[in-house]
Amino acid sequence: MDIIFFAVFMAVFAAVFSFLGYLGYKKTKTAEDYYVAGRKMGPIVIAFSYGATFISAVALIGFSGIASIYGHSLLWLAFLNIFVGILIAFIFYGFRTRKMGLSLKAFTLPELLGNRFNSKRLQASSGLIIAIFMIFYTTAVFLAIASLFEVTFGIPYWLCVVIFTLVVGIYLIVGGLYAVMWTHAIQGVLMLVGMLILGIGIYAMLGGIGPAHEAAAALTPEQLTGMGWAAVPNGFTTLTSMPETLSPAFMLLLTLIFGVGIGVLAQPQLVVRYLSAKDEKSLRRAIPYGGIFILLMTFIAFSIGPLCNVLMINNGLTFPGTPDKVVPLIVNELFPQWFVILFLFAVLSAAMSTASALFHTAGASIGRDVCEKGLMKKCPEKKSVLITRTATLGIVIATLLLSLYPPDVVAVLTSFFFGLMACTFLAPYTLMLYWKNTSRAGAWAGMLGGFIFTMGWYILIYYKTAPQLIGSSITPNYLINMLDPLFIGLPLSFVLTFIFSKIKKQDKDQIKSMEIAFENI
Amino acid sequence: MSLILGMDPLVFTAWLLTILSAIFCVVYGLYYEYLKKPSKKTVPKEIKKPEEKEAE
Repeated sequence: MDIIFFAVFMAVFAAVFSFLGYLGYKKTKTAEDYYVAGRKMGPIVIAFSYGATFISAVALIGFSGIASIYGHSLLWLAFLNIFVGILIAFIFYGFRTRKMGLSLKAFTLPELLGNRFNSKRLQASSGLIIAIFMIFYTTAVFLAIASLFEVTFGIPYWLCVVIFTLVVGIYLIVGGLYAVMWTHAIQGVLMLVGMLILGIGIYAMLGGIGPAHEAAAALTPEQLTGMGWAAVPNGFTTLTSMPETLSPAFMLLLTLIFGVGIGVLAQPQLVVRYLSAKDEKSLRRAIPYGGIFILLMTFIAFSIGPLCNVLMINNGLTFPGTPDKVVPLIVNELFPQWFVILFLFAVLSAAMSTASALFHTAGASIGRDVCEKGLMKKCPEKKSVLITRTATLGIVIATLLLSLYPPDVVAVLTSFFFGLMACTFLAPYTLMLYWKNTSRAGAWAGMLGGFIFTMGWYILIYYKTAPQLIGSSITPNYLINMLDPLFIGLPLSFVLTFIFSKIKKQDKDQIKSMEIAFENI
Repeated sequence: MSLILGMDPLVFTAWLLTILSAIFCVVYGLYYEYLKKPSKKTVPKEIKKPEEKEAE
């Protein structure tokens, strides 16, 4: 019966999204249409698309699972998601990015950098970095969905991945950013409804906000291990308190909160949403919708995570083995069947929306930034879209293959991506928007310095990756090896961009580009 | 330690700040939509991009 439900819903999903893909195809006449939806998007579609791109299945399933272990302290990330991810992002980055993108005729973040600093090599290199690491991020999104399907329907992982990739791939490649953003609006509504019911349902089962939190606070480490936890994290206090300062649990939270919370500012797939806005008013109007959307996503996800432990103990359930499976288990065991299906498709929507945005951005990075601008001399507009469609198809296939052998931990991988993008692009991107003296040399230094430092940190020091890559971290001190590279890599990247911009100033061509970039600001 | 709504003060602060941030987003939108006087509308100039030149 479950499989039939799944097949019917999936067919409806596929039909609706394919239709939107067809509409997007009909509307796509120029490269601008394909890359930035003709710069015609209104506030609601921008807000939902931004939110649905930002909030993936990883955030809903992976991070609520992490909250079930590390407690409500993760709410600091929900705060940063709104304060930094919406307010600062739109007000300090969105408006300027849109204006500069319009002046420089840029469709992607690498193109914005390339045109601002008059360097195709900078554009191509940025595009290459983005495309490679986006494939890993998309793989993390697939893993979260597979966890849910395993617990809920028992559908084989590989089958889910293949169906999912096919549906997303078709409407994305055919319909371009129009199709991506329209589908995001539908997916966003499903996510909102699913999370709202989930949040209300769990709090109602536990007697309201106060009693629910008090019940979580009262759980002892013995009760949690008795329910199936292998052990409480080192430094754990209670599910509604901060962990002991500078303990391993504290360091892990710090990594997640700042890696994702600050990293959001330089995400290439989110920058495209600013570039697609019809006008400044649309971006401004998107802020309230975006704030409410993120509140109903991450705030609910991180709030209910710890409460799932109370529900598991109250209902005689055992911990499902990994944090990723906690929320799916609760939904499956304690909610009516209709909601299980609704929730499944809400999370599927979250995964599809993020994956389609990532595929679109990665495809544009390879097609437009690397091939068209980096390798070719002249490229007619129609050929540009064809190259990017082909590149996107290649990215989709590569991700599919990688997803069939997925990495272990979902949320940490997402944190890597956000942190890496921030350390590589945030400094040149920010200074480019606000400091007229930023030079090409500064942008290169900041970008490469941040990237090399972050990669080096992950390979040699970071406690999750170094053991897998070189056997063990070069330092046993957890205060260092659990520290997110963002804490050092980001300031370093800013300093390098500034110093090299001072040492090697802009030449005449760069000054011309700078004047164009700032003409409407 | 005294709990507020079942949370310790630092966690409660995060909980409250999250809600306040969302409210601020709404207030910001309402302010610009209904209260702020519109500034002079400027028409962006159509700008030509200079010849790209790789000087690296």
